[in-house]
Amino acid sequence: MDKTKLKIGVYELTGCAGDALLILDCEEEIINIFKAADIEAFLMAKSDNRDGKLDVALVEGSVSSEKEIEELLDIRKRSKIVVAIGICSCSGGIQAAFLDPKQWHENYKKIYGDMEMVNTKALQSKPIDAYVKVDYYLPGCPIGKDQFLSTLTRIISGNPPDLYNFPVCVECKWNENDCLLNKNILCLGPLTLAGCGSVCINYNLPCVGCWGPTSEANRTSEYNLLMAKGFDEQHIKNKMANFSGTRVKDFFAKLQGVKK
Amino acid sequence: MKTITIEHLARVEGNGGVTATIDGNKVTGVKFFINEAPRLIERLTIGKTPEEDVNLVPRICAICTLSHKYAVLRAMERALGVNVPPKVTLLRDLMHLGEMIESHSLHTYLLALPDYLGFPNAIAMASKHPFETKIALEMKQFGNHIMATMSGRFIHGENPVIGGFGKCPSRDELIWIKNRALQFMPFVLKTAKIFAELPYPDSPEAETQYACCNPGDGKYGFVGDEIILSSGEIIDAQDYRTLTHEYVVSHSYCKRSLYKGKPYSVGALARVNNLGERLDGEAGKAFKKYFGPRWKKNPLFNNAAQALELLYSFERIASVIEEALKLPDPGLVRYTKTAGKGVGAVEAPRGTLFHYYEITKGRVSFCDIITPTAQNADDIERYCYLAAQELLDAGKEDDIRDRMDLVIRSYDPCISCSVHLTEVSKAPEDNWREQLSKIPHGQLPIFIGLGVTSRSDDGVGAQLALALRESGFKDAWLEPEPAAKDLCQPGYSSRPIIFIDALDFGERPGRIAFFPLRQAAWNSGLSHRLSPFLGAGLTYAQLENSYLLGIQPESLEEGDRLSEPVRKALERVLDEIKHRPAWRS
Repeated sequence: MDKTKLKIGVYELTGCAGDALLILDCEEEIINIFKAADIEAFLMAKSDNRDGKLDVALVEGSVSSEKEIEELLDIRKRSKIVVAIGICSCSGGIQAAFLDPKQWHENYKKIYGDMEMVNTKALQSKPIDAYVKVDYYLPGCPIGKDQFLSTLTRIISGNPPDLYNFPVCVECKWNENDCLLNKNILCLGPLTLAGCGSVCINYNLPCVGCWGPTSEANRTSEYNLLMAKGFDEQHIKNKMANFSGTRVKDFFAKLQGVKK
Repeated sequence: MKTITIEHLARVEGNGGVTATIDGNKVTGVKFFINEAPRLIERLTIGKTPEEDVNLVPRICAICTLSHKYAVLRAMERALGVNVPPKVTLLRDLMHLGEMIESHSLHTYLLALPDYLGFPNAIAMASKHPFETKIALEMKQFGNHIMATMSGRFIHGENPVIGGFGKCPSRDELIWIKNRALQFMPFVLKTAKIFAELPYPDSPEAETQYACCNPGDGKYGFVGDEIILSSGEIIDAQDYRTLTHEYVVSHSYCKRSLYKGKPYSVGALARVNNLGERLDGEAGKAFKKYFGPRWKKNPLFNNAAQALELLYSFERIASVIEEALKLPDPGLVRYTKTAGKGVGAVEAPRGTLFHYYEITKGRVSFCDIITPTAQNADDIERYCYLAAQELLDAGKEDDIRDRMDLVIRSYDPCISCSVHLTEVSKAPEDNWREQLSKIPHGQLPIFIGLGVTSRSDDGVGAQLALALRESGFKDAWLEPEPAAKDLCQPGYSSRPIIFIDALDFGERPGRIAFFPLRQAAWNSGLSHRLSPFLGAGLTYAQLENSYLLGIQPESLEEGDRLSEPVRKALERVLDEIKHRPAWRS
């Protein structure tokens, strides 16, 4: 083992394992990654995993059980840098779309009743920064290959990652697509972080918001625009919350306040 | 008493394990458990538009993403009365073949083969067997390429939508895929041979029921509006619940399925067993050459069946693309319906996947997703049990761990997928009387009251059993009077069993529900007190002949009195049972 190499771990909490799978799908580049860093833990790819000190932990998935809290706290303690990878880890993902804890409990009960589960207690899904400090966020559902490789390369070479902080609309213009909002199609491009290359709009389909919200977004303006176009209020809210429920809570609360 | 446990199964998708319990020379139990937390996906689709639902549900699993996409599209199009043109069906089949190739090449070569060649993983295998490793990676990459071309990106692409595709692939892209598929043929032929001739151990071997989609055109394939069983029975996919009776077990967030009270298997081996005779071309030749009686009873042959399906898939790509190129690119089919319901069934690489939706006023009002791994879970436990007992009998206890590992891996379980469950629609008010009358006549039921009398309405089961006993029903018992083993005695074992309990199913207090036990478990979250009966002793025949009568409690506080609505419900039930002519004692 080369002592100058960074030690990296890849961890999966609750989700679809798509981000880990995408890393494995970087078939050609992954060999170089394995050369440039020591992969200490990556359950999906290898069996000889170690629980030692890490320079970088890449964490996929939301926190959805008590066991996962413990696991996450342990990862944080062992790691210099924690990177949240994928929408579930960054903002809770689709399973965090229940905004109200009461609603989650009702739904949980409807499925499992009151049977006591022996393995671990389930919790309402939350992004990892609900429990630990996160150094960088790599969004996506799943993460994009190019963004992942550039982020990891920068971290390996000791630089902070250079992620986009503008909406999908910017990439969409680069790709010279027609604006779907002008055609009265409910597109979340203006609210959603860029990085996917505006893939859905390239296929004539509206953005679903799977990269999560961009900090620059003017939600009130998009909300008013969509209301003016005659979309159903609940439908607009659902669309905004589908992939990043935890990140739009404040906005919805503000909206409620304005109405009163 | 000791246990053999595999805490984290390696080389399977997701986080799960298995435990076998051994007492002397008997294996007393095997539990296939899942460590992943639930995500309640089916619940979060409620109130969303059909289009949003199509975006969300494939996120259940990154590996099976396009199988989920195909199943949800078929269900939604059925519910909304959308008929897509033939070219759309062909292109969807192509995207699905891409996923089949990606998943099967990964599982056969990189996950399963190391076991048979004696390596801990594929990386260790690569230096000694560069050929196998290289073709596996190239085939997998090719599968990924098809998936990305058809869906828009490697994982969770949004291009397939209700009514067709956002954008159809170009002629050049399709021709490239076809030519590349043909180049692979010599390697795929070799793959079928390698996996048909592996030295599969002869334990466990036992017959089971196999189920898969029955393609409408009478050919081999991965979608269908019907389900075919190894017995030859055909079930309309719209009636999928006939096949997949589900229930909850306490050691896993994955629900279970039984057909006619027995476990069944889905997946490549099920498809080859049920439909293999229909294979033609090179796949047909390989089927005739390699298929034999052991394929019908040994789950390890799933790897051989997957290899045969790789051959089928590569051959099929060429003909799908040739047909598709003759047809013009279709536009999106629009729809106007805002209500309806429909089931979509497809074969995911690891078996039959059902999506069911009800749409009301343009929004999803009910969703049910049944995954292959949930259906296979019972057979996985049964085969692990058989293998463990046979190895124990042969004095090879040390081999049990590895053999269970081999059996589970052969099923190619997808654990992310399995953790997605359902609730059932509510029964009408008076349904319980009708259900009660469905119990076969002739045999007087055994009544077992569950619950604690010191917790007010929780005592309704015990009180009702007592009242029945006073009315002359000799076999009305209170928990814990009968043990599961007592119920297996002659004179009892063929009689129906009715469990009575306070059951919180979210209704108004005093509401009565009556279900076959199998359905009761998934219907309402069965009280954990039933698990001693479910877990041990009772035979499948008895479980199939067991029922649950539940009364919605008002209060479970400390106290020895029943609430008014629950007391009234008790009297109604007592009256009904006492006055049934067939049971009058």
